[in-house]
Amino acid sequence: MSISIAHLTKRYGGFTAVDDVSVEIPSGSVFGLLGPNGAGKTTTFKCLLGLAVPSSGEIRFDGKALTPQVFERLSYVPERSVLYEWMSAADHLEMQRRAFKSYDARRANELMQLFSLDPRKRVRNMSKGMRTALSVVLAFSTSPEIMVLDEPTSGLDPVNQRSVLKLIIDASAQGATIVLASHQIGQVERAADHIAVLRHGKIALAGAVDDLKAGSKIVEAIFETDAFAVNGVAGDSRVTRVERTGRILRLTVSSGSEDLAGRLSAMGALSVRVVDLNLEDIFLNAVDARAQSADVVESVS
Amino acid sequence: MPAVLTVDPRSGVPIYLQIVEQIKRSVALGVLAPGEQLPTVKQLALDLTVNPNTVARAYRDLERDEVIETAPGRGSFVRANGRAGASRSAAADVTAEALLAAVREARSIGLTAQQVRSLFAAALARWFPEES
Repeated sequence: MSISIAHLTKRYGGFTAVDDVSVEIPSGSVFGLLGPNGAGKTTTFKCLLGLAVPSSGEIRFDGKALTPQVFERLSYVPERSVLYEWMSAADHLEMQRRAFKSYDARRANELMQLFSLDPRKRVRNMSKGMRTALSVVLAFSTSPEIMVLDEPTSGLDPVNQRSVLKLIIDASAQGATIVLASHQIGQVERAADHIAVLRHGKIALAGAVDDLKAGSKIVEAIFETDAFAVNGVAGDSRVTRVERTGRILRLTVSSGSEDLAGRLSAMGALSVRVVDLNLEDIFLNAVDARAQSADVVESVS
Repeated sequence: MPAVLTVDPRSGVPIYLQIVEQIKRSVALGVLAPGEQLPTVKQLALDLTVNPNTVARAYRDLERDEVIETAPGRGSFVRANGRAGASRSAAADVTAEALLAAVREARSIGLTAQQVRSLFAAALARWFPEES
């Protein structure tokens, strides 16, 4: 099921938490939503799930509004656990069974074992990681078509983190559409095929992970003296950041690295190197205020 | 399929490209034999812990490059003539890339074209002694 978010804005009083966000989430994709704390991820999720009413804009599932029929096929792992302290894990499973026709008791049991959860244990006696694991069990017990996962590995050990990642990949292979927010960029880098980076409630960057990686590079050139002119390339629209330190010029580019490397070479650079960027680098560039315009940064060394 | 694939998701090289290159290399080296079945998209995605659509994209590229073929309902296989074809294209790609990088490096540290030519001749003489 595809999800289309168009011009979504959510204001709380004078504060704009989400500011004119538009993204298309293709059916069957794992869509990573990245952003610093307070960037608007959780508010976006709340609007997506009908838990908050957008100030403007709209959200469509396969072109339709969020109806009870869509809601039945949707599951959510909230960032902050919404479990009931006085209830046991088994009580929560029973609630899930009553709420969702698609609840699968055998699957729920397997998941409980996967995370070594004791059904009799009450939530108030559970660690942070166990609460996250129980939320994950509940979300995956209904074989949903849409999953909204807000930090679904927080507090989990590396083994259980990997288990959650495999559950996400398995669900995606079955055709589920998954929206995933995580501060663990390495997990998003594995699980997601598309990402968007939110910054101050706005989309700072969006695209297919592999395309972003293929395009985003650092082009580093060393010149003979520190009096080199770079006006031609610094103004190029593909250059998102320019740094010069003495004889070294470092360009962060969103595409066209080979072309720009060739031009720097033709301009007399002694050495030109193209460096790959991983998702963490790309993310940090997108949220870095200085990267918002191609201002020349004069580094002091 | 033998466990011939390892991807580094944290690298700046797109994951689907890493899969494409490694399967081409495995076919070129005969680690994957003609007619050998590849894991399903889902299985490989779970084994590598990477997105299934990324694996599917790699398989599509490999089909387009005629390294593998997919029979609906049966799975994906290394093409019968996959070894010769893929080994030629994969080996040529890998070699071209390595040569380009080496020449760029040579230029960047100030070697002349003539110096690069004699280095290349020396390398040829070492690895193709029968032809020199």
